[in-house]
Amino acid sequence: MKKPAKDLLFHAKATSNKENPTLLRVVLGAQTTRLDFGYCAPFYYDKGGWITISPQTYLQLKGDTKQYALLDATGISQAPAKLNFESTKDYQFFSLFFEALPQTNLVFDMIEKRDGTPNDFNYYDIELKLADGVEVLG
Amino acid sequence: MLTQCQIKRVLLSAWWGLREKNYPMPINKNAYQRYVVIDSLLRNKMRPYPTLEQIVAACWERLEIETKPNTIAKDIERMRRLPPVGFDAPIHYDRYHRGYTYTDPDFRIGNLDLTDEDIASIRESLALVQSIGAGRIDEKFGHAMQKVLATVAEAYEQPGQNAAPYLQTMSAPPSRGFAHFELFSQACRAQIPLSFVHYSYRKRTFSAVFLHPFLIKEFDNKWYLFGYSEKHGGVRHFGFDRIYSPQLLKRPFLKFDTTATFETLAHSYGVFPIPGKKKQRVTLKVSSLITHYFEAYPLHESQLMKKNPDGSATLIFEIVPTIEFARLILWHGYHIEQIQPKWLAAFTQELIS
Repeated sequence: MKKPAKDLLFHAKATSNKENPTLLRVVLGAQTTRLDFGYCAPFYYDKGGWITISPQTYLQLKGDTKQYALLDATGISQAPAKLNFESTKDYQFFSLFFEALPQTNLVFDMIEKRDGTPNDFNYYDIELKLADGVEVLG
Repeated sequence: MLTQCQIKRVLLSAWWGLREKNYPMPINKNAYQRYVVIDSLLRNKMRPYPTLEQIVAACWERLEIETKPNTIAKDIERMRRLPPVGFDAPIHYDRYHRGYTYTDPDFRIGNLDLTDEDIASIRESLALVQSIGAGRIDEKFGHAMQKVLATVAEAYEQPGQNAAPYLQTMSAPPSRGFAHFELFSQACRAQIPLSFVHYSYRKRTFSAVFLHPFLIKEFDNKWYLFGYSEKHGGVRHFGFDRIYSPQLLKRPFLKFDTTATFETLAHSYGVFPIPGKKKQRVTLKVSSLITHYFEAYPLHESQLMKKNPDGSATLIFEIVPTIEFARLILWHGYHIEQIQPKWLAAFTQELIS
């Protein structure tokens, strides 16, 4: 079936398994799928530490083996580069762009590193119901 | 002759009319002057159907600008285009007469019958806007004015070249989030809901917000977007600097009563009312030195001043107390001696404790 040429925006549920970075929004676009995150530098790293995202990060639908690759990232460096903070009060909004997921009701994971540590940006069971999506203008 | 009110309307409509996302590149002064020449030739009943070559000759004669037929052909194409790029001019090439003409004999680019005085007023306003400068507002305003002034063949200098050099106002560096001004104004004007990510400095949290915006407000060079927040179930305002990735949405715009917001703002100094505090009488006793300033620069339209023989004064306001008002009291230090109500004095002290 032909994919509708519109972008659908979802506000992420607050019950995400990972709180920092917080998954804020998902845009199921016709060309890409975008995930928006907000990150607050923690107190326990010197000067707030740093963040980076692996270029190998991907999305995967539940019950499917297909991987949807990371295409671009804004507001965050891609490894091996790092975005260094200057203080423990710094914060960062960033977006990750992946190959487009199908525009259907779906549950998916974002995996930076399979079987990784809590430091890796892995998000599981992100559920989107098309009825909750709002069409983005322009 | 246009009244001041009419001029203001012209300026505003020109400004707002051009506030679209895909804003065209500015047209240079020479191009506008050529448009005026072309327009006058096409309206000349004595010598109808001018050719490209005749228009080139007229440009040289009137503007002392060397032009090529190719340039004039492009000018005509641009004049034919819809506003804001062109003038939607009904220009037709008549093969029989081998020249150009307006298919609508009443058409002309612009219908403003501006006098020298009108033009002077517009130029003065333009210089003022350029001097005040508010990011891209003055840039767009200037572009709109090019069109207005072009209709009367008035040369218009590019922004920056002719701003009033005798006038200097506080010009703040570009601030974060101001780049979204156009999108926010479009959303308010056309009543389009928004989604954006908001970061709270105080809570240190991010959140996604659906907002039905209706007002952009500036206070002390900080910009705020007001609207009905679905998340909060009421009217909220958000600093531009804390808004990320705003998106216009195709969904119904919620209608809600904005009266209370406008009333509160009208009775406030600032945009952050102290929680739980309604409009009330606030009294300050101020030193003789600071009295001069409050006399010269009233803080709010409700301000009443009772002067004492020693030059000090009692100031009375009927306002909604705000964080900004409390900060202003602090800023004046010992020059403000007493504050009523007492809770406001305590609140102000808490800000520095």
